Amino acid sequence: MSKIQMFEKPLGMRDSFPKVFEQKEYIRSTARDFIRNKGYDFIKTPSVEYFETIGKASAIDESSLFKLVDNQGEMLVLRPDMTTPIARIAASKLLKEKNPLRLAYFANVFRAQQQEGGRPAEFEQLGLELIGDFSAYGDSEIVNAAAELLKALGVESFRITIGHAGILTAILENNTNNQEQVSALRQLLVEKNFVGFEEMLEELQLTEEQKGQLTRMVESSIEASPLQNFRTFLTDEQQVLLDHVETLQKLLNVQLSDPLLISFDFTLASHMSYYTGMLFEIHAAGSGFPIGSGGRYDELFRLFDEEVGATGFGIRVDRLLEVLPDKTVKEKHTLILFEEGFYQKSNELAEERRSKSERVTLQYAASVLDLDVFKQNFDEVIMVSEGGSLT
Amino acid sequence: MNELTIAMPKGRIFEEAYQMFIDAGFDLPSEIDDSRKLIVEAPNERIQFILAKPMDVPVYVEHGVADIGIAGKDVLLEQHRDVHELLDLHISNCYIATAGLPNTQMDDIAPRVATKYPTIATNFYKEKGEQVEIIELNGSIELAPMIGLADRIVDIVSTGQTLKENGLVEYEKIVDISSRLIVNPVSYRVKNERIRQFVAQLKNGMNKR
Repeated sequence: MSKIQMFEKPLGMRDSFPKVFEQKEYIRSTARDFIRNKGYDFIKTPSVEYFETIGKASAIDESSLFKLVDNQGEMLVLRPDMTTPIARIAASKLLKEKNPLRLAYFANVFRAQQQEGGRPAEFEQLGLELIGDFSAYGDSEIVNAAAELLKALGVESFRITIGHAGILTAILENNTNNQEQVSALRQLLVEKNFVGFEEMLEELQLTEEQKGQLTRMVESSIEASPLQNFRTFLTDEQQVLLDHVETLQKLLNVQLSDPLLISFDFTLASHMSYYTGMLFEIHAAGSGFPIGSGGRYDELFRLFDEEVGATGFGIRVDRLLEVLPDKTVKEKHTLILFEEGFYQKSNELAEERRSKSERVTLQYAASVLDLDVFKQNFDEVIMVSEGGSLT
Repeated sequence: MNELTIAMPKGRIFEEAYQMFIDAGFDLPSEIDDSRKLIVEAPNERIQFILAKPMDVPVYVEHGVADIGIAGKDVLLEQHRDVHELLDLHISNCYIATAGLPNTQMDDIAPRVATKYPTIATNFYKEKGEQVEIIELNGSIELAPMIGLADRIVDIVSTGQTLKENGLVEYEKIVDISSRLIVNPVSYRVKNERIRQFVAQLKNGMNKR
């Protein structure tokens, strides 16, 4: 490794300069109003958690965790996601006071990057969690909130793709011989490697019927066939899973202003192992990467010895910035330059303008090295000197 | 209709794939000069081609500056980019294998492997349970065993001619390689309709071949 230069930040860390900071603040305040109106309460959790609990329960790969050791010798992690700490709080305290529970967060999370160190390793996430509801109404509320929130923020072109971890697992299990085969095929779907999926079907020595079913399932998903068509892939006991998705679809069609935003794809699989029911991804034109994802994660609560339904989503603020037009309002910024002996006068002038909520910077003129360059940062410049106030 | 941007590897694969598109019935300019130009337009189909180094195609697609790309499986295995692999184009078929001087064993103490594909080589030997030193080279990999830099090489084999000419023999086959159609995850959703049609038409054309 070469010597660290003074300007360098640790890999994947980014500064937020004033302009980006304001954009994030805009997102935060817009989202906050929207989310509170939906009845969700914001919370904050520590940046550092125990590796034994949160680090292991989190679905983020261990190699992506930032680890440190505290003075008791305990292994700590910088929180890699917000869902797991929220599950901790809900299970240990808040659910006893209120159930179902609606929580929201706007927080930074940390994930070490393996590839191309410049990618963000610390980024803000904005999300909702609805805990204590097993129903399709809960799922619908979350998907709907994600869609409306993006609209409220001004994201113009986006799509939400909904899958179902339970249905995918059922179809894979119905057509394979053991769990190893199921996880091999699922992994290929997580990677969206359809070529590999086809090859694997040959490799696993499945029967013609099994192969046919799985190929048809993938094709039907890609072609976005009506949900009804997937009934044939499920056994009688499994039909209830599809009932749930159909209910969700109906609810969303009622709630959403634009049902075309939503599509269903049962090949959608996530590396987040705790998703058990419906799951979704949000893609927006303008960013090459998904801007958010979510789903039902009842399984996570089992780790905290709770039997509750939970569903939620998170949106990555850094990717949101890529797709959002700059919505920050350009406010007028005035510079008052004063010369020796005019401090009081210029101060009065500044306070008078500030009281009308104008942004005013007060600056002793002789301290500025290059006045012309400095002045360019302001919309109006007032000089307070011998000759009175000059604009 | 949305504009589609397709990242193509320069050279032989470009010509083969381009012909494949034309055979599938896409209305593309028949003569293009791909020697210096980096962007080629096909206005009738509202397609834009970006000509890139083969190794860079997945980068363009992952970042979404190209919706679709054509990339060798070798590059995809080596880089682990977040792209969807939709179609095996069955062109430029070859495979990756280990090779070395005939009748030689790997060095017991410090086995060394030279390759252009450090990730693939590392994973292969890891799975075999052998710890080796990987030496990354950018070309003329066959030199390495001949001049004593490495015991084995991990490289692409298409006919085996190059190996033979340099007095090397193939030891183990690692994986089959062909060109794949890859898609950016966001384009796959946001331009879903367009990409589905494109893939369907291409698949159709391939089946007729």
